[in-house]
Amino acid sequence: MAGPKEYYSLLQLQELLRDLIGACPMSKNVWIVAELSDVRESGGHCYMELLQKDQSTGATVAKARATIWANAWRRIRSEFQTKTGRQFASGMKVMVCVTAGYHPLYGMNLNITAVNYQFTMGERERLRREILERLAREGVADLNRQLELPRPVQRIAVISSPTAAGFGDFMNQLLRNPRGLRFSVELFPAVVQGPQTARSVIEQLDAIARRSGEFDCVCIIRGGGAATDLDGFDDYQLAANVAQFPLPIIVGIGHERDTTVLDYLACQRVKTPTAAAELLVALEQRELDTLLALGGALLQLTTDAIAGARQQLAFISGSLPTAPLGAVERASRRLDNQAAALSRISATRVMPLQSRLDRLADAISSAATNSIARADARLKANAALIDALSPKATLARGFSITRVNGVAVTSAAAIAPGTIIETELADGTLTSTSL
Amino acid sequence: MESTPVKELSYTRAIAELEQILATMQSDKCDIDHLSALTRRATELLAECRSRLTATDTELRQILAQFDQQQ
Repeated sequence: MAGPKEYYSLLQLQELLRDLIGACPMSKNVWIVAELSDVRESGGHCYMELLQKDQSTGATVAKARATIWANAWRRIRSEFQTKTGRQFASGMKVMVCVTAGYHPLYGMNLNITAVNYQFTMGERERLRREILERLAREGVADLNRQLELPRPVQRIAVISSPTAAGFGDFMNQLLRNPRGLRFSVELFPAVVQGPQTARSVIEQLDAIARRSGEFDCVCIIRGGGAATDLDGFDDYQLAANVAQFPLPIIVGIGHERDTTVLDYLACQRVKTPTAAAELLVALEQRELDTLLALGGALLQLTTDAIAGARQQLAFISGSLPTAPLGAVERASRRLDNQAAALSRISATRVMPLQSRLDRLADAISSAATNSIARADARLKANAALIDALSPKATLARGFSITRVNGVAVTSAAAIAPGTIIETELADGTLTSTSL
Repeated sequence: MESTPVKELSYTRAIAELEQILATMQSDKCDIDHLSALTRRATELLAECRSRLTATDTELRQILAQFDQQQ
């Protein structure tokens, strides 16, 4: 059978396809989501495969070659690193802006002109959120975070790679601390990058758990470095182990900007291995400061107590010589006070009584005088009566009294001659003899 | 009161006892007669805690030498 008379050369067909694709507006600047594979750099350009896998079977259902030309790659590489904290590397899901091109020699190629960094961060965030939500549902998400670091934190189990730069930084920072704080470190070597990370770290966590009494805490550390492939830490099994670990865990993974799901589950999270060592040193330093402050306070109290006792003694011994004088003085002052009080009492109570007495005495005296005067007058009146009735008054009137031997004679017959007679007259006595 | 030898105390208990001594000395209960006993005990506790936190120069040199060898 004869073949067709007209045919295309391969180049003509390829050029036709190139022109068709080039003319199609839908092929320019299209945003697509795909998984990176076989990412490599050559001559300043970045080459890769873009894949799409079936969600349930994992089988590849679409595949295309893609390129980021050098002029765009220089910018995208550094921006991707700073914005997402990760390397633009195989295995990750990305959202990229592509323009499809067809080359007669190389075939179909997608030229990447822009990358959506938010999408990559969101992808990672979504994975972490899923792990955290699952652990929260299982009620274990907060267990390690609720553990308290013991006092002091000195016996440290380290999970890291012995060759990782981060481990050396950690040890230097810890062991050469300026105040000579004591730490003992045992390294549990593990793979800390790539797909082996989770399994390897879990193995060492198990090894530490079997000897948990020998350690105060666990540090999971790895430095940043060139291959910033921390995906291995965003693993459900590892996350569940960390969350439920019986000892407090400190994670210090990567650089300043790096985050893994373990950061949300561990008792303490720090940015870098160096920061982990700084945290431990700071904790112990605070412990030492507390101790020194206690010592200072005790010293101050002791000093104060002794000074107080001294002062008391000095006061007592100082007041001993003057105390008796003071007592005498106080007693004397008391006496004075009492005297003054007495005098006040006499003024207010005795004086009135005394003046009343005085008035009584006056009254008595005048009453007596009056009474005597009255008696005198009576006496005088009686004397006049007596005078009037006395013999003398009779004698004055010319009568006389004759007495013999002192006895009044009332009969002349009774007088014998020769008897001596006394005659009393008013102004004297006359003696005579009877004839 | 019979007190536990400081070597047998945990760090936390030693600190707690120190804080208690401090509180006693701050209160009116503390007289000069008890002062010297309390101070002696506090000094022992302080020295023990401090020696647990910090290593001597010799110990430090040994630890660093071990580490440098491993590097």
